[in-house]
Amino acid sequence: MSTVFKAQKSKQDKAKGVVAATEDKPVFRNKQRVLLLSSRGITFRHRHLLTDLGDLLPHTKKDAKLDSKSKLHIINELAELNNCNNCIFFEVRKRQDLYMWLAKTPNGPSVKFHIQNIHTMEELKMTGNCLKGSRHILSFDKNFESTPHWLLMKELFTQIFGIPKTARRIKPFVDHVISFSIVDNRIWFRNYQITEKPLEHRSATDTTDLTLVEIGPRFVMNPIRVFDGSFGGQTAFENPEFVSPNVARSNIKNAKVDRYKSRMDAIAKKDEKLKEAEMPEDPLAETNVFA
Amino acid sequence: MSDSDSEHEQQLTLEDLEGSDTEMLSGDEDGPVDIFTKQKVTVNNEPALRRLCEQIALPTDIPWSETQSITSSVPVHVVDPDDDLNREVAFYNQALEAAVQGRDRIKKEGGVFERPGDYFAEMIKTDDHMAKIRQKLLDENASIQASERAKAQRELKKFGKKVQTEKRLEREKAKADALDKIQTLKKKRQGGDSTGNADDEFDVALASDDDEMKAYKTAGKGGKNQNGKRPAGSSSTTESRGKRMKKDQKFGFGGKKRFGKSNDANSSADVSGFNVKRNKSTSFKAGHKASKGAAKGGAKQRPGKGRRQNGAGRK
Repeated sequence: MSTVFKAQKSKQDKAKGVVAATEDKPVFRNKQRVLLLSSRGITFRHRHLLTDLGDLLPHTKKDAKLDSKSKLHIINELAELNNCNNCIFFEVRKRQDLYMWLAKTPNGPSVKFHIQNIHTMEELKMTGNCLKGSRHILSFDKNFESTPHWLLMKELFTQIFGIPKTARRIKPFVDHVISFSIVDNRIWFRNYQITEKPLEHRSATDTTDLTLVEIGPRFVMNPIRVFDGSFGGQTAFENPEFVSPNVARSNIKNAKVDRYKSRMDAIAKKDEKLKEAEMPEDPLAETNVFA
Repeated sequence: MSDSDSEHEQQLTLEDLEGSDTEMLSGDEDGPVDIFTKQKVTVNNEPALRRLCEQIALPTDIPWSETQSITSSVPVHVVDPDDDLNREVAFYNQALEAAVQGRDRIKKEGGVFERPGDYFAEMIKTDDHMAKIRQKLLDENASIQASERAKAQRELKKFGKKVQTEKRLEREKAKADALDKIQTLKKKRQGGDSTGNADDEFDVALASDDDEMKAYKTAGKGGKNQNGKRPAGSSSTTESRGKRMKKDQKFGFGGKKRFGKSNDANSSADVSGFNVKRNKSTSFKAGHKASKGAAKGGAKQRPGKGRRQNGAGRK
């Protein structure tokens, strides 16, 4: 009804020659909604990370675990159903390897990361705390501006991890900062609480009254590929340094194979040596002489 | 796409082919052999990446508070990513810079930054969880303190032992010295008892004689005291009676001597010496049992070490 009313009113206004102030300069609204879901076979640690992200980002919408790992394009439809234009998808393989997809649905691009070194908020080492759903500051390393693929990832992070002003469950204050840094060609994710140090506790070397306490979670994202489309399409970037965890594991196993092999070789060598050391039958042996 | 872009692509593909990504295996000297060549060409289509970035980018003229994103002024540089401390410090500094800048910008745009103290709302970590964290910190502190105390105690023990040995040696030395002195004195006496020693004794006797005479005279004037034992001049003081008083205190003086140590109604009602903890302790009970058993004649006693070990081996 209201839309009909608005349309009628604007028509009337136009007819009257009244121009609405908003029509001059259309106000841009950063409308981001993120679908948050995982594949089947997720482990507890990955699940905790997923819930942590859901708590940190009030503009996310969680969905049920996805059955299929091969037909990922259906996520685009799921996102559309949920009115989401972004997606974070946790793909778990072999119940141990976590891959995270960040995608702009439905037209892309999308990035696939391998997630390593996960520490969730559940852990007791990180002592910070913040409001649930408060907007945070996003801090990016300057390295993100060095190459196009990092730049693209930065844009994706700002849209997916940045909480829009108009999100429904946000709280009005800014009390934490999320940082993305590039070290060792990986992206390191950290989340800190911002606290203000009282005057009497400040030392002479402090340049600011702010201090940070880590809240968590923390994890490392190793980019694998950047795709043209959402969950598919042409590859625009492929990380040459990425080593699949399967390969890494098989390398470790192969290193152990060497030990087994060398042991078997040694046994074979010993057997041969013993065979060579055997003496030929003595013609003067007791059994030969008195038989 | 422009010319420059396609040129760039060309360059890229060439680079890719020349680089180490293309794994070429050569045949043996005998001749070319069929080898399965694995070719891995990585993709880095920069123009496409730029286009994608432009495609999704937010308009540039929006207020900063829409995204609240800040790029650091200095790139994070960590020499060794396995060095936890330096790495985390670098991240911390990056985030701190963003926090400081962000606060300024938020305030400039008229937003609210810090949470007032009386604003309570659901937190990301529950109170239970925070209590757990606090408890863990306390426990850690306590364990650190305990270990430090134990360390200090160990040091003290080491030091105490040193002091003990020193003291023992000192005492032994003193004893030896004293014995030495006595020996020398004895020797001296044996050596010259005919002359000097006799004179000495004589002198002492004279002096004491004088004193005694004086005392006797004064006593004679004053007459005898009530006890009729001692002269008044040599009446005892508290200092001189110290030893006697101690003895009296210990063994009693005057009064009834019998049943002094036997219980009466008051003493048997007094249970201040009773200790529940000690009474319930296993060692106390064991002792009690053992004594009972001994009275009966033949309770189980712990056999000696050798017997124990042999017995265990046999069974």
